[in-house]
Amino acid sequence: MNQTKKLLIIDDDPDFVAGMKSILVKANYEVDVAYNPKDGLQALQTKPYDLLLLDIMMGRGAEGIMIARKLGKDPKLRNLPVLIITGIREQMAFLFPGQAVHPHFVAVDELVEKPVEPKLLLEKVEALLKTAEARKGQSK
Amino acid sequence: MNATAETSVTATTAPPEDRIPFVEEIKNLLYASKGNPISTCIQCGTCSATCPVASGGFMDNSPRRIIAMIRSGFKEQVLKSNTFWYCASCYQCTVRCPRGIDIAELMYGLKRFTVWRTEHQEGLIGPTFSETFVKMIMRTGRSYEPVLATTYLFTYGLPEMILEAQTATSLMLKGRLPLLPARIKRLENFKRMIRHIIPIGDKE
Repeated sequence: MNQTKKLLIIDDDPDFVAGMKSILVKANYEVDVAYNPKDGLQALQTKPYDLLLLDIMMGRGAEGIMIARKLGKDPKLRNLPVLIITGIREQMAFLFPGQAVHPHFVAVDELVEKPVEPKLLLEKVEALLKTAEARKGQSK
Repeated sequence: MNATAETSVTATTAPPEDRIPFVEEIKNLLYASKGNPISTCIQCGTCSATCPVASGGFMDNSPRRIIAMIRSGFKEQVLKSNTFWYCASCYQCTVRCPRGIDIAELMYGLKRFTVWRTEHQEGLIGPTFSETFVKMIMRTGRSYEPVLATTYLFTYGLPEMILEAQTATSLMLKGRLPLLPARIKRLENFKRMIRHIIPIGDKE
């Protein structure tokens, strides 16, 4: 229970990642970073993580959505909690017909807007981890 | 005893968004804005008094009241309110707020918040209009007023509908309203480009 939680950040903005990473490391989380969706997906498939922090607009476009969809279809990764952190200010949820953020991409996901207040970031991460753990406990 | 057990169950199984105070979430929407946080609001009511929509009686809760509701944690009532969908984005509230809160940005933030979570009030013109507009641009590359207008025309009463039809006819006679939807050249290229940027998802 008190084991250090492993988090993965997939975001192509190195400055934002550096800020987020320092906040999370200080709160005793183990943080890995992938700066593009391809590396991110590979990391997810090779190493176990407790939570994913995912950006939406990366590379050619909204590739974060692609990752979230792939996770939703993957039976192993479906239960990984995901915190979507996006700088999108337009009302874009309409552009993902039938697959808006809610109903969820994966079992437990949440969305916050960039830039995130450090306190809120930590609260969200903690809440998502707790919810995922409670779900795991229920399914057992 | 039972009440305690119930609370502990909700504390562990509650969705993550319910564990965090609503005001914190909304504060984050304004984190990047140049204005002050909503906690600095003194409830003077300048925003509501200056708002052309609120004083017209269209909003169910005035902007001042919405801020008070957010600060008191009335999440459900705020999200189901029509206030931010009726906001005309005139920015009078932002300009006149004595505490320098960017209230218009708060209204935009609340729109995005509800759209991402599909938690907005049913039957409002705002979300339907936005959705039709965005999807139309994706499909044809241009907006086409006759289709856009009909998405919300039926929410009006008959007299308003006749009035709208009269206006549309006179606009059409003057050549200000196209009869056929405009399509851009090389539409397929445009669509392919958009699909590269935004993974729109499977066809409905």
